[in-house]
Amino acid sequence: MSAADGWLLAGLVPLLGLVPVLWRIAYGEPGDRLIAQNLACLLAALALLLTAQGFGRPAYVDVALVLSVLGPAGTLVYARFLGVLPGSRLVRWIALAGVPAAVIPLCVATGPGRAMVKLLVIGALLMAGGLVTSAGSRDEGVGA
Amino acid sequence: MTGTLTDVLVAVALLLVAAAATAAVLNRDPVRQALVLSFLGLSLALLFTFLQAPDVALSQLAVGSAVTPLMILLTVRKVRRRPGDGGPPQGGAGDGRRGAGRDGRPPR
Repeated sequence: MSAADGWLLAGLVPLLGLVPVLWRIAYGEPGDRLIAQNLACLLAALALLLTAQGFGRPAYVDVALVLSVLGPAGTLVYARFLGVLPGSRLVRWIALAGVPAAVIPLCVATGPGRAMVKLLVIGALLMAGGLVTSAGSRDEGVGA
Repeated sequence: MTGTLTDVLVAVALLLVAAAATAAVLNRDPVRQALVLSFLGLSLALLFTFLQAPDVALSQLAVGSAVTPLMILLTVRKVRRRPGDGGPPQGGAGDGRRGAGRDGRPPR
């Protein structure tokens, strides 16, 4: 098993994590649906990052960059429309633990350079977006 | 081995797309449908990336997961506000009432 297979296997983990998230989006309460949408963006971005390394095409990281900008912004827009933005411990833990667990090995594998800076920017965007949208509605959404 | 793993990734993404599309059809509430539709756009973008088409995935991400659900939500909001506008007054005040509603943003 080569290194590329390892990255692809690692990318399979967040992809499989999307299945219960889809269940929640389809059948959950309104607040649960919003959390699930947020979580889906986070997991999809992680899967894109890991598989980009697995395919050996660093250019595929651009999709994850766009997603890391669009995802939290979309969640805030939905929160405005639905009127709720519940806090979520799961999203916060994935943003605080899962994102560095994926980005730091990717940075080590990429080596210093522009690609690594891009990865770090994507990781920072994902963490910031996850932390802001999982903080609860006391400071976001209602007043916006 | 890499080819097999790519096939597995594509298969999982295809299953996600099929499940999300079915869920979007079976849901009856338009607001919930908009969120399922955004998930469908997300999984389609993943599928396109795994099929080595990241440019298509980029446009799918922008259109499918952001713009289309947003337009649906805006439409639902507009349509739901309409009966509240024309409800209480019974006669004669149609045009003036509509203008006031657009400017003054009546409570829902």
